[in-house]
Amino acid sequence: MTVIDVKGLTKTYGDVTVVDDVSFSVEEGEIFAMLGPNGAGKTTTVESIAGLRSPDSGTIRVLDLDPLADRAELRKHLGIQLQESRFQDRIRVREVLEVFASFYPDPLDSQPLLDRLGLNGKEGALYSELSGGQQQRLSIAAALVGRPRVVILDELTTGLDPRARRTTWGLIQELRDDGVTVILVTHFMEEAEKLADRVALIDGGRLVALDTPRGLVEGLGLEQQIRFRTPATLAESSLAALPEVTGVQRRDGEIVVTGTERALFSVVSFLAEQEIVPDRLSVDQATLDDAFLSLTGRNLTDLETEERS
Amino acid sequence: MSALTTLTKTQIKVFAREPMGIFFGLVFPALLLFVIGVVFPGATDPTPDLGNQRLVDIYAPVAIALGLATVAVSILPATLGTDRERGILKRLSTTPVHPRTLVVAHLTVQLLVATIASVAAILVGALVFDIDLPQDPAWFVISFFLAAAALLGLGLLIGALVPTANSGQSFGMILYFPLLFFAGVYIPLQVMPEGVRTVSEYTPAGAAVQSLAGAWAGSGPDTSSLIVMATYAVVTVVLAAWWFRWE
Repeated sequence: MTVIDVKGLTKTYGDVTVVDDVSFSVEEGEIFAMLGPNGAGKTTTVESIAGLRSPDSGTIRVLDLDPLADRAELRKHLGIQLQESRFQDRIRVREVLEVFASFYPDPLDSQPLLDRLGLNGKEGALYSELSGGQQQRLSIAAALVGRPRVVILDELTTGLDPRARRTTWGLIQELRDDGVTVILVTHFMEEAEKLADRVALIDGGRLVALDTPRGLVEGLGLEQQIRFRTPATLAESSLAALPEVTGVQRRDGEIVVTGTERALFSVVSFLAEQEIVPDRLSVDQATLDDAFLSLTGRNLTDLETEERS
Repeated sequence: MSALTTLTKTQIKVFAREPMGIFFGLVFPALLLFVIGVVFPGATDPTPDLGNQRLVDIYAPVAIALGLATVAVSILPATLGTDRERGILKRLSTTPVHPRTLVVAHLTVQLLVATIASVAAILVGALVFDIDLPQDPAWFVISFFLAAAALLGLGLLIGALVPTANSGQSFGMILYFPLLFFAGVYIPLQVMPEGVRTVSEYTPAGAAVQSLAGAWAGSGPDTSSLIVMATYAVVTVVLAAWWFRWE
């Protein structure tokens, strides 16, 4: 069942087209990631889905409702964790959930929700006493307490340490397993790759590609690199002659073989036949980052680094 | 429990955890009256310059107007600025509950605080300085709620537009101190020059003091003050509703 259907969404602020003719649909129980650098138009897109922005053109249906015209009905079924949304310093964890629970007809019990989010024992803590990760998880709890059918999480793990990030990822997978549809807005390649069933790559307001993380990488025919060292003499030309291999190079005593997804098996078989045991064998899989680079000519990881510096 | 009830109860607790709010909102009016009565020589004796009134009698309605002005323009705009700055209002607009419910909860809490502060000031006056209880209770209550509407309306108008807690605080302060002046907090209205007193009558705080003082003394409703306050209340609330920014 299609839960979200976006057709030709366009939004302009002044002279800047922040969302440019974007179309996609999201199925029930899917984790759908929107991946792209900051300013790519991801937030504007999800805020339009949530009925917080009115599109200049295009149509949006969420749960068969119009986000603007049927705003009141839609809000009962939508849970949203907005980017940079915080609570008052002197409100307690328990109170935040009591308040949000009072907005919905059949809210979840807050205690199991807090336990699941790793906030057990923090019920009585003031918001200002929580760590950044705990504040973020409380914000997610508030988005979930109304039993939403669709959850939008904008920059879910920005500012979280790696451990908190993994805990949060686990929670999102549990949500999907419960049949909740999740839209994840992120500029972390790894997050989209690990979590998403499908990824929409967004750049400059346009949808540049949409597929499963694996499909995105494979569809572009991106190659993998196999690296190893060996003291034995190796007939590089016979290695290069393997059908799955597209290139062999020797760099600083290391042999770097590039090839298709199946190259690893044929390289390892070849080495075994030659009775060569490779040292420090490593495989660099093509990533979403490579896919983004190949589609836009820009590198997501570099963009992240620029932001931080 | 309804969303408004839950929000209001929660905001009462949040307010109660803020020591500055407790002091200035709840305690300050009664404390001002107490200090005036204890510190100023002759404050509890009838004074010819003050129309044979006692200084404490004059300051009793002033303390109540001070309490209202404090919650309305020194606390409310900063509170609303926080809600906007932290994206709380925007976040509420993604839920089935309109963010104005939170604004109504804040107004309820501030009105409650000012009411308690006023009762405290009246009790301190009665118990410590033997000030009569308001002689015309009905008009006194009407004056109080109209004054609350006018001053909270003013705070709401500032809070409708300020982007942050700090700007709410700053713009609030710009209005707060002149309001205190025209309420007669620094020097009693009775000893101000005629021109300044006239201006005072057209400020919400000055009108509040006039009408509360009249009802306290039992001299009936002061129509012109009531009209001034009602006008402020209507104009500020309409403009605030018109201009209110949710994000």
